[in-house]
Amino acid sequence: MAEKKFDVIGKRYDIKNIGKVTGEEVYSCDVNIPGQLYAAVLRSPYSHAEIKKIDYTEAEKMGVICIGPDDIPDILYNERIVSIPDKTYRDRTVLPKDKVRHVGEAIAACAAETEEKAFAALKKIKVEWGKKWKPLVTLNDTMDPQAPAIHDHVYLGEERVDVKNNLACERNIDVGDIEQGFKEADIIVDETFNIKRIYHMQLETKSAVCKPEANGGITLWTTTQGIHNVRILLGHIFDIPLSKINVKRITLGGSFGSSIQMNSVTPICVALALKARRPVKLVTSREEDMYDHSSYPLKTRLKVGVKKDGTLTAAHCQVWVEIGGHNIQAYPYLGCVAGWFASLYKWKNIKYEGKAFYSNKAPSCARRGYGSPQINFPVENTMDILSEKLGINPVHFRLQNYVGRGDEFWGQGPTIKSIIRSCGVEEMLVKGGELINWDKRGNPDKKSGVIRKGIGVARGFHTSGTGGPHPGEVIDYSGATVKINEDGSVDVITALMDHGCGTWDAGAKVAAEVLKIPFEKVSIDNGVDTRTTVFDVNTHATRGVYCGCGAIKFVAEKVKEILLNYAATLFNDRPENLTLALNEELNQGVVYPKGLPENYKTIGEIAEYAHTTSWGTIAYTSTLRQKNCPPCFITYFTEVEVDTRTGEITVPRVVMMGDSGTIINPELWKGQILGAYALGLGVGKLESIPYDKITGRLKCNGFITDFKIPTTIDMPDINNIIVEHAHTYEPTGPFGAKGIGEAALSAVASSFGNAVYNAVGIRFHELPITPEIMLKTLKEKRNRREN
Amino acid sequence: MQTDTKILAQEFEYLAPKTLDKALDLLSEYKDKNIKILSGGTDLLVKMKTINLEVDYLMNIKDISKINFIDINQGLVIGAVTPLSHIAREEKIKVKYTALYEGIKAMAAPSIRNMGTIAGNICNASPAADTVPPLIVYGTELKLQSKRGERTVLLEDFITGVGETILKTDELITEIIIPEINKNTGSAFLKKSRVKADLSKINLAVYLEREGDVCKNCKIVFGSVDIKALRAEETENLLKGKTVNSELINKAAWEVSREIKPIDDIRSTADYRITMSKEMLKDGLELSWERAGD
Amino acid sequence: MEKIPIEFSINGQKREVYVKPNDLLINILRDELYLTGTKYGCGIGECGACTVFLDDEPVLSCLTLAAAVDGKKITTIEGLAKGNELHPMQIAFLKNAAVQCGFCTPGMILTAVALLKENPNPTEEEIKDYMRGNLCRCTGYVQIVKAIKACATEEKTIDQLAN
Repeated sequence: MAEKKFDVIGKRYDIKNIGKVTGEEVYSCDVNIPGQLYAAVLRSPYSHAEIKKIDYTEAEKMGVICIGPDDIPDILYNERIVSIPDKTYRDRTVLPKDKVRHVGEAIAACAAETEEKAFAALKKIKVEWGKKWKPLVTLNDTMDPQAPAIHDHVYLGEERVDVKNNLACERNIDVGDIEQGFKEADIIVDETFNIKRIYHMQLETKSAVCKPEANGGITLWTTTQGIHNVRILLGHIFDIPLSKINVKRITLGGSFGSSIQMNSVTPICVALALKARRPVKLVTSREEDMYDHSSYPLKTRLKVGVKKDGTLTAAHCQVWVEIGGHNIQAYPYLGCVAGWFASLYKWKNIKYEGKAFYSNKAPSCARRGYGSPQINFPVENTMDILSEKLGINPVHFRLQNYVGRGDEFWGQGPTIKSIIRSCGVEEMLVKGGELINWDKRGNPDKKSGVIRKGIGVARGFHTSGTGGPHPGEVIDYSGATVKINEDGSVDVITALMDHGCGTWDAGAKVAAEVLKIPFEKVSIDNGVDTRTTVFDVNTHATRGVYCGCGAIKFVAEKVKEILLNYAATLFNDRPENLTLALNEELNQGVVYPKGLPENYKTIGEIAEYAHTTSWGTIAYTSTLRQKNCPPCFITYFTEVEVDTRTGEITVPRVVMMGDSGTIINPELWKGQILGAYALGLGVGKLESIPYDKITGRLKCNGFITDFKIPTTIDMPDINNIIVEHAHTYEPTGPFGAKGIGEAALSAVASSFGNAVYNAVGIRFHELPITPEIMLKTLKEKRNRREN
Repeated sequence: MQTDTKILAQEFEYLAPKTLDKALDLLSEYKDKNIKILSGGTDLLVKMKTINLEVDYLMNIKDISKINFIDINQGLVIGAVTPLSHIAREEKIKVKYTALYEGIKAMAAPSIRNMGTIAGNICNASPAADTVPPLIVYGTELKLQSKRGERTVLLEDFITGVGETILKTDELITEIIIPEINKNTGSAFLKKSRVKADLSKINLAVYLEREGDVCKNCKIVFGSVDIKALRAEETENLLKGKTVNSELINKAAWEVSREIKPIDDIRSTADYRITMSKEMLKDGLELSWERAGD
Repeated sequence: MEKIPIEFSINGQKREVYVKPNDLLINILRDELYLTGTKYGCGIGECGACTVFLDDEPVLSCLTLAAAVDGKKITTIEGLAKGNELHPMQIAFLKNAAVQCGFCTPGMILTAVALLKENPNPTEEEIKDYMRGNLCRCTGYVQIVKAIKACATEEKTIDQLAN
C-alpha cells in the first residue's frame, strides 16, 4: 500500500523529554511529601519456611510504625488483573500469613523518620520460624512427586483449586490431527531447548509513596504500567471505595513487563501509611528488586514434521516452566506461548501441552514478549535445523511457511483470533538478506581459522495489544479526554503509561494529526491520575500505540466534530463544508470553508470564541476497545564472530528489519529495536540469575556485581547496524500504525544462536552461550571428531 | 543477611585528618578499636553495604595532599591516595610502565578510577585486583608508615590472602615505589571479564627484558587464579636466558597452565581459566617481547 | 551519631548542611537538597546512575560519604544547563533520541560531558570505552553513542531541538 502523507506523524520531535535530560523529571522514587516516613521491608532469609509468629513490639519501642501479617487484610489476590477474574489465579496476601515461599519474600515492614532508623528497626523484629523445607529451585526439583507442596490450594476466580505436585496451572491445545500430520511427514525433528530466567534490571527499582487522606482515602505515586489496575486492586484489598483512592500517573524508569502487576511493595507502603496516618515512602534496593521478580523461564520440547518439498505437516510443542513462589498469571502466559508458537508458521496440525509449576524462587512475570522470546528460540532454531535437513535456504523455508496476510492468527492465545491484514514479512526477509549478504554466509563445515564468522536469521512478532473481534480472556481497552484549551492548545488526558518507549510522544502526535495542530501545542504530560482519567488497562502487550493511541485518535475525532460544529456556527455554514488543516506558515491549525483557505479562522480563534460566548469547552471523553491485535513483525540478520581461542562471541554487524505499519516516531521506533537487540544479546551471551540449590538464595545475592548486562562495548559499531522498516499500512491501526516494543526482542537471541551455528557448526539448546560454555563445547566437538 | 544498598546502615565515627602526621597519630590512638581507612571507598563502602563489614572508626585520608603525588624522577613514586585516573594520565607510565597503564585502564569505569586510589586497590587485597599483577612484575615496594617509624616491603610479600595483608593496624601505606626499568624491556596487561567494566575472571601482567633474541629476565603474574596474585616462577625460569621463539612460548604456556590453581566460581570456571592462562600468556609474552624492541 | 556540619558548593551555590558520618552523598542530594536528578540504580558502583561531578570529575555518589565532600565542589545534572539554556550534551541526547525511560540519562550525560572534556574528539571506540560503566536497559546504547559523537562534532543550539 502506498505510504500516506501526514502532517505530524512520522516526524521527529524531542520536546517531551526535556525533564529527563535536566534531571527534573519526577519518578515515583523522587516524590517527597512533607512529613513523610521512610519504610524498610523485612525479608525472608529462607526459601520455604513456616512463619509461626512475628513479634515487632521491640521495634515499636524505637518509635517506628510496624506491620506484620496480622495487620493486613485477609484478602487473597493476584497482583496482575489484566485477565478476566474467572481466569485469574489468586494465591497471595500482602504479606504471607502462613509461610514464605522464596528468599526475599516480604514478611513485615517498618516506617520511621529516616530510612536508617526503619532499617535498624527491622533487626528488632522477632520472627519465630516453624518447619523449613528444602528449596525447590529447578524444574526437576519441583516436578518431583516427593517434593514438598509450595501451595496447598489456591483460587481460580471464586473457585477453590487444590494444587497437586506443585502444578500451578496447565494448558493443552489441539488443532487438527498431529498423528496424521506426522504420518505425512518425510522428516521429523525432535529437540529440547531451555531458556532460563532473566532479571528485568529496569534501571528504576520498584517504589511507592502513599499519602493517607483525611477522608480515609489515599493518594499514591508508584511504579506501574497501569494506574487504574493498581487502584482497583488496592480498593479490593483495603476495602476503600475507588473514588477515594487516587493513583498518580508518573514517569517510569523502565519496566519491561515487571510492573504490569501491582508491585509487591505498593500495598505494603499503603498498609504502613494507613497505620501511621502519615505519608510513607518505600523505595526498594536493587537487591530487593532482584528478589522480587524475573522473567518466566521456559523448557521446550519441539517435535516438527515436514515434507520433502518444505511443507510443514505437524508440530508437537511441550513446554514446562517453573514460576516461583506465586503465580503472577502463568495461565495466560501458557496461552500466549501457545499463541506465539502457533502463529509463527503454518504447522497445520498442532498439539500444545503447557505446564507451570511453583518453585521457591522470586515470582516470574512478563518480561518484554511474555514468552515470545522463550518460544521463538526453539522454533527458529528448529526452522534452521529443518532447512539444513531439507537442503532448503532457511530464508526460503521461512517464506514458504510463515503465517502472514489473510491468515488466521492467535498470537495472544487461543481465545483471541483475528485475521492478519498487514504483513511485511516477505519484504523484510528478502531485503534483509540482501543487506547482510545472506547468500555469501558459507557453510560452517568449510570455515576455519581462529575467528569464525557466521550469519543467522530469525524472525518473530508480537501482537499490538490483546484485542480481538470478540473479547477473550484479557481486558483490553483504553481511554482519553481530549480538550482544546481556550488558546487553541490541546490537553490529552489519559491514564496511558509511557515506560520511555515514546507512547506519550505518539499519543500527542496522533492528537495533533487529527486536530491539525502543531505538535508542541499538545500536552500529554503528567499531573493526571485515576481520578481525572478514564480507564486504561496497562501499557503492556505492545499496545501503547495501537490501543492507547487508537483511543486517543477516536476521542480526538469526536473533538474534531465538536470543533467543526462550533466553526460552522462561526462561518454560518455546515461542518461538512469546512476544511480543517495545519497551516505551516502560521504554525497553527485552521478551519476554512472548502476551497477558500484564505478565509481561515485559527483553532485558537475558534476556541477563544467558544469560550467568550460561553458555548463551552471543546472536549470529549471516551474509551475504546480495539477489536484486533495485529502482529508487528521483526526480522534480524545477525553476524557473529566466534573467537575459538577464547570462546568469546562478538556481533560485528546486524541488519534489523521491523514492520510496524506506519511509524509514528522513526527515531524512537529505532530506539525500541536497538534497545531490544541489546537485551537479546544479554540473553544470548551473558545473563543468568542462578540460585543456590541448598540455600535457595540468588548466587549473586541480588548485587549486580555478579549479574552483568550488556554495556556500550557489546553493540556493533553504529555504521554496521542497519535498521529498516517494512512498507506496510495497518488498516485497523491509528493512521496505519501497529506496535514494535516486544516484537523487537522476540527473535534477537534466536538470530544470534543461528549465527553461532553458522560460524562453528554447533547448535546450542540453552542460553547464554558464555565463553566458558563455548570453549567447552568446541573442545567436546574436537574430541568427538578425533575419536 | 538483610542489606540495603541505598544507605550506609552502619554507624561509625568519622575522622578526616588533613595531614599525614595527624593520620598516623589517629591510627596509633585507635589501632585497637576497629578503625578502617577510607581512601576511595569503592571497595570499602561496598563491603560495608553488602557483607556488613563492621567499622567503628572510619578515617578518610583522601584529602591528605602530601600523599597525593606522582614523582617520575627516579623510577616512579606514587603517593598512596593518588586517584587511579591521575596515574593513567601520566605519560611516563603510559610509555614505560605499560602493564600498569593497561591494568588501570582495564578497571571498572572512569568514575570508579577517579574515586579509587592505588593504595586502596592494593589494601583491598582482592585476588582480582587489576593493579596488583602489573605492580608486582615491576618489583614494586610499598612504604609503610606508622608513629613507630617506617618500613619498606615488597608488594609481592604484602598481600597474604583474600582481603589479608601484613599491614599493622597502626600503619598506613604512604608511597608506592616502582623501580626504574631498564631499556629493552616491555610489559603488558591482559584481562578476561564478562563485560568490559567488570572484575577479572583472570588477569595477567608480563614483564620481560630482551637481549637480542634472548629473554634476559621476565616476570609473570596472574590474578584471579589463587587466593592472591600468583607469580608463575617456574614458567619465568623456563623463559629466562632462552632464545625466544614460538616453540618456547608454547612450552611456557603449557607450563603456566599447570602452575596456576584456579577454581570454579560465579564469574568463571577453573577449566576456562586454565585454558585462558595459556592463551593469555602467549599473547602477553608476544606483546611484551615486541614492546621490548630488539 | 552526632551530625557534622559541612559546607560545599552545589551547582555553583554554597550550601551548609549537617550530615551524619554514614550519610551518603546521593541521599543528601536527593533527600535534603531535593536534587532528585541523581538516581539510585544499584548502590554499589556498578551502574553509573548516581554519577555527579566532584571537583569537576565524575564520581559515584552512592559510594561517596557526604562528610567527605566538605569544602568541595559538586555538580549534579541539575547544574549542567546554564539557566534556561541546555548544555550541548543535553541537546544532543534529545536530538538523537538517546533518551528513553530517562533513568540512566543524568549519569550518562554527566559522564559524556566528562569524556569530551578529557577528549574533545573521541572515536566511537573511545566513547564506548569511556561510557562502559553507565548501564542503560532501554536504548541499547547506540543512540547514546551517536549523541555523544554528534555533540563532539556539531554546533549545537537550542533551536535545533525541533526539526
